[in-house]
Amino acid sequence: MYSSAPTETEKKPSKTYCEHHAECLKKIQAVLDGEATEVEKDHFRENMEECLHCIKMYHLEKCVKEVLQSKVDKKICPDNLLAAIKLKLNFTA
Amino acid sequence: MSVIMSEIEEEIPLIPQAAYSDAEKHEIFNREFMPHINSMYNFAFRLTMDEDDANDLVQDTYLKAFRFITSFEQGTNAKAWLFRILKNSFINDYRKRSKEPSKVDYQEVETTYNSEEAAEVDYTSDLRVEAVQDMIGDEVATALNSLPIDFRTVIILCDVEGFTYEEMAKILDIPIGTVRSRLHRARNLLKDKLREYAASMGYKTEE
Repeated sequence: MYSSAPTETEKKPSKTYCEHHAECLKKIQAVLDGEATEVEKDHFRENMEECLHCIKMYHLEKCVKEVLQSKVDKKICPDNLLAAIKLKLNFTA
Repeated sequence: MSVIMSEIEEEIPLIPQAAYSDAEKHEIFNREFMPHINSMYNFAFRLTMDEDDANDLVQDTYLKAFRFITSFEQGTNAKAWLFRILKNSFINDYRKRSKEPSKVDYQEVETTYNSEEAAEVDYTSDLRVEAVQDMIGDEVATALNSLPIDFRTVIILCDVEGFTYEEMAKILDIPIGTVRSRLHRARNLLKDKLREYAASMGYKTEE
């Protein structure tokens, strides 16, 4: 949805140091979590056009989130637990 | 009973509703609660880090959910409702006997983080996307598991289970602002662990 790559505008990201990186990081996380306000989204879009540091943070946050979603093993409820619950509740099916 | 009642009352508004027949209760239970059992088990396992404790915790939670099924409003968010009961059962019954002195750890870490927030470490300079992508699931899980429980919990709820901040606030009984700041700190801690791990494994940390 938000392209992080520099777009083909004249304006290329040039800022390499971000003095507000802690605040920017919070906004980046809110965007990735789908929880950003309109103001935060605007701020995010602006930064992604000019700040290399924010672009870098965005990619790292996105990557960590994706790795958590896709690579961390999801435990499955064992069949005997399912059976025990149904038994205790007098379920026949 | 009174303990359970007060515990349930804390988490569920007891709305007087028409009594269900046993068949209706079973039908609601199967339709609304059972689809979440794998997510519940995964959450229980990530909290307790022990299969037997996870079994007990999930079983207790489902039995409670059934007992208080009339307090559940059909069509509302069953998953968040169940997660909230599980989280409260964990705090009330399991955390006390857990080996992990999580309460102390948590406060310690939060204090440390608050005091360091002004000069927050910049993680991008030494943790590369490629290093994280190269890690296997177990390595990421180990880093996640090493976080104090309250930080681990918000990451599981948000990134693994996909709850919204509002749902997380309800499950954890904390304001949305606290959800945001706790997530932020949890992620910084996690990146810290991943960075340490990447360095120890000799992953390239610089271009």
